Amino acid sequence: MSSLKSFIPSWHIWVLAVVAFLVPFLLSKIFARVHAYVKSGGTFKSASARTSVLSPDSSSAAATPFDGDYAADVRSVMDVIGKNSDLTVREFPLSRFDAKGTLFYVNGMQRERELNMRTLEFFMFEATREMLASPPNVKGLLPFYNLKESADVREFSRLVLFGYAGLIIEGVPCGLLIQSPNTSNRAIVEPLSEALLRGPRIGFTEVLSENTSMLRRQGFSDQLEMKSYIIGNTLPKEVVIAYFKDIVNADLLKEVEARISNINIDFLADSGYIEQLIEDNYLSPFQQLQNTERPDRVINGLLEGRVAILQDGSPFALIAPATFSMLLQSPEDYYERWIPSSFLRILRFFAAFLSLLAPSIYISFISFHPGLIPTELVLSIIETRQGVPFPSLIEVLVLELSIEILREAGIRLPKPIGPAMGIVGGIIVGDAAVQAGIVSPILVIVVAVTAISSFSMPSYSAGITLRLLRFFGMVFAAILGMFGTILFFLLLCSHLSRLKSFGVSYLTPVSPYRLQDWKDLFIRAPISLMKKRPAMMKTRQERRQT
Amino acid sequence: MFNRTDDKITSSQAAVFLTNTLLGAGILSLPRNVTQAMETPDAWLTILLGGAAMLGIVLLMVKLCLHFPGQTVFQYAGKIIGKIPGKLVGMLLILYFIVVAGFEIRTLAEVTTFFLLEGTPSEAIVLPFIWAGVYLVLGGINSIARVFQIVLPISILVLLVSFGVSLRLFDINHLRPVLGSGFLPILRGMKTAILIYAGCEVILTLTAFLQEPKQAVKAMLGGIAIPIFLYLLTVVFVIGCLSVDSVVTSTWPTIDLVRSFEITGFFIERLEFPFMVIWLMQMFCNFSSFFFQASLGISQIFNVRLKPVIFLLAPAIFIATMLPRSLQDVFTLGDSIGYIGLGMFFLLPLLLTLIWMIRKKGTKGHA
Repeated sequence: MSSLKSFIPSWHIWVLAVVAFLVPFLLSKIFARVHAYVKSGGTFKSASARTSVLSPDSSSAAATPFDGDYAADVRSVMDVIGKNSDLTVREFPLSRFDAKGTLFYVNGMQRERELNMRTLEFFMFEATREMLASPPNVKGLLPFYNLKESADVREFSRLVLFGYAGLIIEGVPCGLLIQSPNTSNRAIVEPLSEALLRGPRIGFTEVLSENTSMLRRQGFSDQLEMKSYIIGNTLPKEVVIAYFKDIVNADLLKEVEARISNINIDFLADSGYIEQLIEDNYLSPFQQLQNTERPDRVINGLLEGRVAILQDGSPFALIAPATFSMLLQSPEDYYERWIPSSFLRILRFFAAFLSLLAPSIYISFISFHPGLIPTELVLSIIETRQGVPFPSLIEVLVLELSIEILREAGIRLPKPIGPAMGIVGGIIVGDAAVQAGIVSPILVIVVAVTAISSFSMPSYSAGITLRLLRFFGMVFAAILGMFGTILFFLLLCSHLSRLKSFGVSYLTPVSPYRLQDWKDLFIRAPISLMKKRPAMMKTRQERRQT
Repeated sequence: MFNRTDDKITSSQAAVFLTNTLLGAGILSLPRNVTQAMETPDAWLTILLGGAAMLGIVLLMVKLCLHFPGQTVFQYAGKIIGKIPGKLVGMLLILYFIVVAGFEIRTLAEVTTFFLLEGTPSEAIVLPFIWAGVYLVLGGINSIARVFQIVLPISILVLLVSFGVSLRLFDINHLRPVLGSGFLPILRGMKTAILIYAGCEVILTLTAFLQEPKQAVKAMLGGIAIPIFLYLLTVVFVIGCLSVDSVVTSTWPTIDLVRSFEITGFFIERLEFPFMVIWLMQMFCNFSSFFFQASLGISQIFNVRLKPVIFLLAPAIFIATMLPRSLQDVFTLGDSIGYIGLGMFFLLPLLLTLIWMIRKKGTKGHA
């Protein structure tokens, strides 16, 4: 009996047992709460969402239809938008029959010469009463290929301000929108964030129609389908979902469509907004949609059975679902021959590992297990660390943080100053810090290798994630040494294994093993071998047609 | 279906799950335990024999499970032996899982304080480990299997490399004479050799999660073949390199083997470090597996939701971890787990199968 008694643990074990329960329990409660809060605050108020599939004659509840009386119609349009200084209103007579018309357009959004020469000439001297007789005829008889009728004053006014040329003609009971906007755009340039040495140089721009046309121009197909959505409550914008009809999984498409149409927001400034509003897990450091500026990358994603989301005004398309392996793949892998590509890809995996864990491993070796590295190396490290007054965590943090600040500053600075700052910040300060004995030279090497490794991430967003996680790893290492680092790695694996992007597990195809998909994971197999679409996407066609 | 709502695993995942459940503390202490009991270098024969026996037991368990597709032992035990005894058996299993989980973490804490974190209180090692386990187990069997699938290849690679490099210390004479003292020592070693297969009981629940139950036999046999092979390799190499005498006197002979040579001209001179890394990860898998089985059992027996059970089990496992007062206690516990395990995974499925068959015959007769 007494021997049994000695097995009853002391009171502090019981206290710790309570702690063992409370910490994960409270943490999970907090996370669940925060997640639910973010979710309810952001999207999924579908009842009040004012989104609809784009159609030219969609009428909202607050519609004010054209009244049919010319003067009253012009007045009501002027009431809505007449105060804009950039609006040009030109009233003209239609000389073939005794009527008047008014042309509305916004300066700078129309080819003015064409408006004068063609449009006004036509209406003033050629248009006959028959052409404008009744609404069904209007479309058929007028010589404009891009003609829209608008029955609603508000919609008419909105579209005029968006850049259309609008017409109101006496005797026609609706507004006519004759020319689509023609604004000045940025030239098409090479994608800035995903530069390649070999491969197409074309990158998306801010104009949706240009971007969709770039996708169309990738090849002949009648299966590439694009669906348009108007999203935004205050300042609506067009969003397009693109996919291959005969490839994409119907359930995936439905899910994407549902999430897109559930977005409830004032204004979408960039596709980054969409990404954040439709992702699965708001609290994960990992991106769950791939963003890219490259049409070739989007098309390749679509052919794998993914769905692309493009937004007017953003040169970044989103590809859903995203998986972990995509973060470390560059389109160039496919354009170069397979042996060097595979080598580069393995190198990138290694670089990702380094950029995530190198400082943690340094800390755990220096502070906890110097016995595990070769004796001579330990001796030289200790020698150089002799004058350093800080524990290794502080030492690493100082240098890592300053590198991160340097990088951040380098991005914000204008191009000519950037490199200069790099030299001052990196080389001079780094050297001076070593001289001053704040950090050890070995650490400078470690931090530099880490930073360079994180530059090798093909996707900027993935790079940020790893940079952020590195600091958590360092804290783990500083508390528990190698054990902490391993724990951090295991936690990361656990998180990744739990994470899903649109129902696809983030870790596929690393796990579960799908050897068929491994041809395009660590190595990039010869193209002739990649005959099947990724199994994880559960596409309608299994084989790539040859 | 694009979004899977059911939590099923593929057969390769099931095989890896089983392997990771078995491959744990045993790797470090197995050579000493077996050799101590036998005092001859024939430990590898014991492992082989034990492995062969395990193959039979695994087959028995899978066959039993296949009678109840989609059900775990906690659910069908009641159908075989009646509601109350079924629940009792289930609770016994749960208790066993908790004790094993505690034992695994305790071993981990002992090894870690010994090799990596001297002077750190073991609570500081155990608690974060349990918390990480809670996070993983909350993700369900699929997430667990995914993490296992990441860890296992790394583990096997490092193990094989370590053994490959230690080949230069290998002396076949250390393994001789074969059967020098007859057959009896092998039988004496069997009971310790069985401990390493403790955890085999997961098959009784794992089969229920298979996407394709038809492949269950193949998956589980594959899952047990890997640890048998790795354990065999471990014993052969540890005894072959260190000889029986030094194996018996060392606490963790496998680590001693890895520490006993240096690879010069490499960033890490001794393979002890990568070996410790994979062993820790392996222990994490091991522990998560038992943790998951125990919480699954409780939730199925008492019909409660899985999530709160997982949170509530964390302190239970922590206390189980802290129960042994010393390393000696831990080893004693390990031995008794071996005995209990023998009953659990040998007698239990055998009895259940027998009773089931008798009952089925009986009902057939009546009908």
